[in-house]
Formats: sequence, C-alpha cells, structure tokens
Amino acid sequence: METAAFFNRLKDYCAIPGPSGMEDAVREQIIADISASGAEYEVDNLGNLIVFKRGRNRRPYKLLLAAHMDEVGFMISAVTDEGLLCFDAVGGIDRRVVSGRRVRFCKDGRTGIVASKSIHIQTPEEFGKCEPIPDMRIDIGCADRAEAEALVSIGDCAVFPPNYEEFGEGLIKSKAIDDRFGCAVLVELINSDLEYDTYFSFNTCEEIGCDGATEVCHRIRPDVAIILEATTAGDTCDAPEGRRACELRKGAVLSHMDGGTIYDKDLLSLALHIGEEAHIPCQLKNIVAGGNEARSFQTGASGARVLAISAPTRYIHSACCVAAKEDLLAVERLTRAILERSIPLC
Amino acid sequence: MDRIYEIAKALVALPGVSGDEQRALPELQTLLGGWFDETGRTPVSSFYGIRRSKQPNAPTVLLDAHLDTVGFVVTRICDGGFLKVAPIGRVAEKNLSASEVWIYGEQTIPGVFASKPPHLQAPGESEKKLSLSDLSIDTGFSKEKLEELVKVGTYVGFKAEPELLNERIAVSPSFDDRLCAAAHLRALELLGDEDVGVNIAFQFSAREEQGYKGAMTTAYRIDPDIAIVMDVGHAYVPGAPERRKTAIAGKGCLLSYSPQTSRRLTVWTEALAKRENIPVQPIAEPGRTGTNSNAVQTTRNGIPVCLLSIPLKNMHTANEVADLRDARAAADLVAAILRNIAKEQEGLFRHGNSSVF
Repeated sequence: METAAFFNRLKDYCAIPGPSGMEDAVREQIIADISASGAEYEVDNLGNLIVFKRGRNRRPYKLLLAAHMDEVGFMISAVTDEGLLCFDAVGGIDRRVVSGRRVRFCKDGRTGIVASKSIHIQTPEEFGKCEPIPDMRIDIGCADRAEAEALVSIGDCAVFPPNYEEFGEGLIKSKAIDDRFGCAVLVELINSDLEYDTYFSFNTCEEIGCDGATEVCHRIRPDVAIILEATTAGDTCDAPEGRRACELRKGAVLSHMDGGTIYDKDLLSLALHIGEEAHIPCQLKNIVAGGNEARSFQTGASGARVLAISAPTRYIHSACCVAAKEDLLAVERLTRAILERSIPLC
Repeated sequence: MDRIYEIAKALVALPGVSGDEQRALPELQTLLGGWFDETGRTPVSSFYGIRRSKQPNAPTVLLDAHLDTVGFVVTRICDGGFLKVAPIGRVAEKNLSASEVWIYGEQTIPGVFASKPPHLQAPGESEKKLSLSDLSIDTGFSKEKLEELVKVGTYVGFKAEPELLNERIAVSPSFDDRLCAAAHLRALELLGDEDVGVNIAFQFSAREEQGYKGAMTTAYRIDPDIAIVMDVGHAYVPGAPERRKTAIAGKGCLLSYSPQTSRRLTVWTEALAKRENIPVQPIAEPGRTGTNSNAVQTTRNGIPVCLLSIPLKNMHTANEVADLRDARAAADLVAAILRNIAKEQEGLFRHGNSSVF
C-alpha cells in the first residue's frame, strides 16, 4: 500500500460532512474511488454501499468486511425569536466537547458557533459546567427568527468543521476518524488484488444504533463479519492504568468483549496468531466499553462470527480525534493478512 | 472584504498571550511600521506608533487597544507527552475539552486539550464541574522529545482561524482586543494624509489581561493630552442579565459612562456621534470598567479618557463573535473624534500642572 496516498485519502474522507442519515457525499466519494477496481457494488434501501470483489479463489463461506460512513453530528430542532438555533446531538457526544465550538452545516457549508456565555457574565454556579446539549444554542449570525429561518430549516444537520492535521510524532488529528479510517482501509483493499472473494460494506447510521449494518446483514448473510472501526483510547496522563481501554502506538486493537458484543473466540485467537506471525503490533482492549456493528452481524439473519479490528483513537466523538499513523497501518496490515487466509471454520 | 476584518485578520494571526507579547513585536513592526512617523516598543512589550501634526505645539491624542490575549502557561510536562497548564486571564474551562491550541515552545506546535470520551465516563460525569486541573494538553510527542520543545513557563494560546459567518458577522480568537486595534487603525486610514491638528499616538498595550500593566507604562511614555481607549464589551446574549440589553451586537459601538472615564469627553463624544450619524450605545459602568481606561486615566497627572467598546459574544473563547458594523461604527467615531477635537474642544485636554505646588 502506498502510505502517503492512504493518508491523503483519509484526509479527504474525514473532511466530507456525513452525519448519520446523510452519508450520501461520503458514499459518492467511495464509489468514485473504487470505480476502477472491477468490484461489483450496489446501494441498498438504507443507503449502505455493498461491494463484492472477486479474488483468485473462492471461499467456502461468506466473509464481509464492514466500516461505517456516518459520523456524529448535530440536528437543528428549532429556531428561537433571537435567531438562534436549538439542536440536539446525532450520536453520542459529550456536551463538554460541544460548548463554544464551531460547527459546519452540511447543506451549504455555513459555519455556526455554539454560543457560550462569556466567563465574566456567568454566575459562580455556571463556572466549569456545560448545560445539556438541548439547552445550548447555535449562533449563525442572524438577528432574528425571520433571518435565521430563511437560511436554516428544522432537520438540517451540521458536523464539526474539517481539521485533519499531522500532529506530534506520527499522529494525526481530525474530526470523523471514526470511521472514515475504516472506510479508507476498505477502499485500499477493494483496489487490491485479493486472494479470496470478499464482501465489503460501507454502512449508514452506526452512530445512532447500527441500523445500516442490520440491513446489510440480512442482505448478505455473512458467515464471518469483520468490523473495522476507531475505538476509544483513554491513554491520557490523567487516566489510571487499567482504565485506558487501549493505547496509541501499541498497534491494532482486538476485543474480547465490548458494550454490545462478545467476540468470536476462534477468530480472535486467529487474529492474534496472524498478527504475531506477521510481526504486526496488536493489543487487547482491556475494558468492556463502547460497541459497534459487530452486534448487528452477530444477531442478524442466522448470525455471523464476528471480529473487530480497531484503531486506538483518543477523544473520539469530538472535533479532535487523535490517532497514530502506525496503528492505522497496523490495522490495515492485519486485515490484509487475515483476508489472505481461508479461515478454518468448524 | 470588509477592511476592518482584513486588518483584524492580520492582527489575530500574531501570537501574544499576556506575558509573551514580545513574540508578536517583530511582525507587528513589519505590519504597522509604515503607518506611523515613529514606532517603538516599551520594556513591557507594548508596541506604539506616532503620527505627528505639522501644527506647532499640537496636543497628543492617544488611541489604546491591548495587544495581549488570554491563554495558558505550561506548569508541568507529563508522561505520554501531555502538558498541565494554568490559565492566563479568565478562560472558561467548560469550552476546552477536545479544543485546539498552539504551544509557543522552541517551535510553535499544535496541541489538543484531552477529553474523556463518553464510553469511559461514569454516569453523570459530564454534568460535573470541570476545572483546568482535570484537563491536560495532548501534544503527540513523547515526554523526552517534548522536554526539548517545551519548558515549564511556555505559553499556550487558542488555535482557530478567523471566519465570516455572513457579510457582517465574524468569528475569531483574539478579537479581544485585536478587533479594536483594527478599528483604531481603520480610523487612521480614514483620515488619510489629513493633518487634524493633533499628534496621533497608537498604543497596542501589553498585559491588559494581567492588570493593565502595559497601558499604564506606555501611556506614561507617550504622555498624551487625551486618550481614546477601545476594548471589547459583552454583547447581550439570551440568559444574560436584563441590564446588558443596552449592548446589542449590530446596534453600534458602546460608549461607557463611568467614574473611570472623563464625563465631559464622553458627553461630547456622544453628541458628536449623534451629529455624524454614527450608531453608538451608551452603557453605564458605575464601578471599574475592566479595561485599560483606568490605567491610562491615572497615568502621570491624569489623562481625560473616553472608553469605546465593540460588543462581543463568547469573550475569552476561541470563537469570539462580533458584528463588523459595530467595528465600523467604532472606527468612524474615532476618526470623527480626531477630526473634530482640536478645533472644537481644546478645553477637554488635560490641564498642565498648576504653579500652586
């Protein structure tokens, strides 16, 4: 894989606005990027992009790799007399990464500011405390309701503004690394020569409950589903050992269990074994938290064996996700190595 | 592009957290050297420039805005390449999680305030009070490398670009007080080569956020006969006290009635604004103004001061929001004051020391 091209693609993907339910622009870019791969694809009723790529050999079972196209964002719920916008989060966003931030509207690129009362005019009870998101307001520079309503409608969505940047020693920082990173890896694989036939899905609406993946599972009915995602890394200097979930620069993250899934033991052992054999750094997630589309594939149709290969990512679901390039590459290498095998299924 | 916004964009691009203003001075000299007959810096890192009148014994009018911004200073370099910081000026902790900063070390490097993701929080944690000691800055470097780049005492400032929300509303860090400096400079531009019969001194004062130290010392050096101090003021926002409704963004620049300003000069300025159709909103500040006005007023044997403000939302955050029409009103008013003060209001200038003592 051409590393610089991969990170350029990731940068482009991260910049595209695509909150849950509005993944169209992400999907169009991905379709354009796989157009020369020879893979077949379709877009299903929920907007999922499902791709089938022939390999040199057939597998005796169906293997599907999945990543989600959507990112967390905001939806406008009302306009006030003062021309401010009420909104709520699309997906799980901590109120403390919202207060005082810029947002970018999907339909016209308009910037808004989540209003934050200046500290000088806060009451002492307000210091350091963020109001719940439904009590926050977005300021788009309008003087009154009429002016705001001419520009923004109820249901309009916004996301954090694009801000991809190289950072520190080999890190990157951006909104939406979760899960444009997974999308970028899948595109790399689709554009490669594969050993075996493989299904790929770019899913919608992961952040609000994995609805897209549920539909994909019914459509493809995979025997094995591997989820590529960004998972939360809590390795800050304030986090106690054992509460960090996983750490940057320690490689691809494999999980025994998260908030929604107990992963397939055989697949997990195999992934660890392949990683060891190929000298690809891997780590085990050490707390039970988070969750992803694995739950949909495990419980959809007649159920699939599931594995998640994750990139450790700090501050996910904020404007500034931070990840290490070496970890992202480890996920790509491990995934590729697994794809080259015909997994012995009992 | 709006001319004041254009000037402000160049100014907000410069660093200058309180105490670290000298970092901005070389570029400031390049940027503003040509605007004045004479420029200089003071020992506390204020910048100043003077335009002289050809009239003999012309009085001096001082235009003040402050150069420094709020920010942080590094107090500890931690394992994993994180920094602990203390605030410089009043900064709202609640807006910091997962926000971006510049770290002004051996090199200027980007950083991100760490935040705890929802998945790792205990229930109700996000409702709790956040203090700066709960936060750290992620630099992406190893501790060893970071120690080469950053020291205890290194300054940190907000990292965000200025941007227009529409043709009149702008957002940027450091509009407090660089937007006011831009309005002063715009006033000079409006005068062009016109000799208005006064020397015009502009001071871009250091350390306002740390007790007005730059303004008091720079005004001492300039020794003006009258001063127009300009700072940002809190624009009314829903949820703010009712009395703040006298400062509405978009309705004009603010003019302070205060014990810390000259009432005669303020009354004259308000009448002048009315005559010139410049939108002005008088505000009452019965105590301290929280600006350079008092520092300048008490310099030497006392300087008559007029305080103008540009209404600002989200003050001391990375996203300060201003209505450029208010900045234009401020620039127009400063230009009008400069044009009219010598011929109309000689009596407003400070008196010399009497010979009684």
